[in-house]
Amino acid sequence: MTAAAVEVGTELPVYDVPSVSAEKMKTMAALLSDPTPIHWDVETLQALGMGDRPVNQGPLNMSYVMNAVTGWAGGPDRLRRLRVRFLGTVLAGQHLRVRATVTGVREEVGARLADCDVVLEVLRDDTAGEAVLSGTATVVLP
Amino acid sequence: MTDLRSAAPFTEADLAGQVGRAFPGGSYTVHPWRAWLLADTVLAHPPSLRSSGGGAQVAHPLFAWMAATGAMGVTWDELFSWFGATAADGPVFGEHETTLHRPLLVGATYRVSGGIVSAERKVGRRTGVFDVVGYAMDLHDTEDGTHVATCWNSIVFPRRNA
Repeated sequence: MTAAAVEVGTELPVYDVPSVSAEKMKTMAALLSDPTPIHWDVETLQALGMGDRPVNQGPLNMSYVMNAVTGWAGGPDRLRRLRVRFLGTVLAGQHLRVRATVTGVREEVGARLADCDVVLEVLRDDTAGEAVLSGTATVVLP
Repeated sequence: MTDLRSAAPFTEADLAGQVGRAFPGGSYTVHPWRAWLLADTVLAHPPSLRSSGGGAQVAHPLFAWMAATGAMGVTWDELFSWFGATAADGPVFGEHETTLHRPLLVGATYRVSGGIVSAERKVGRRTGVFDVVGYAMDLHDTEDGTHVATCWNSIVFPRRNA
């Protein structure tokens, strides 16, 4: 990807998480010192009537969007801004897809920036999805 | 611990009274082990633990949120209690915004400061009464004092008894 090739309407490559891992949620809970058991204890989920699939942490969902836009822009140092609204839950085993579209290209203090609309979807099949997180991102173009 | 659910309802005046309340704050270090484990957990490429020379490695941008919430100086339960709530009341993330003025680096330590910036009571047709509380934190590099990031969030508190 080159900055010259980026324009309003450019669609970023889709970023897929083929199956959300319950094991990653456990590590994330430890890193966050998050005692909320719905992210790792199936017995608690069942007692709460929430089934048997742990609920992914919101920051994990956010990170997939960060991966999608920074991977496209050239690396983790490229993110300038991310604003998202949490719309729904993600469960272990679900197939996720990040889609993003450039909505603006601009210069700021010598850097060329791309503003993007972003959405994280839970795929019900390989094409249709339900948005669980949406928002905007700004990245520095190479 | 006091059972706040049995206490008097949390009023709009109580809510407004929390705006401007500062977090104790603290500091957060992006230790190499943290950087590696977080990157692996979020399905990104972990920074090398064997790297030498060539300058500091960039940490995953989620570390702005990790540092902000990890060093705000109160636990989630304490924050909920500021609003007369507990985790059992079902508070949920509303929105989040990270603004990065420069990338966070592996090995760096960041000073975290911030507090409650907004609070508003709303009524939804389906959801009933709920409060939306905004809180924000700034991250400064402890080495050179540079303001590197701002992390803004909102929490939604259901108010089933309001």
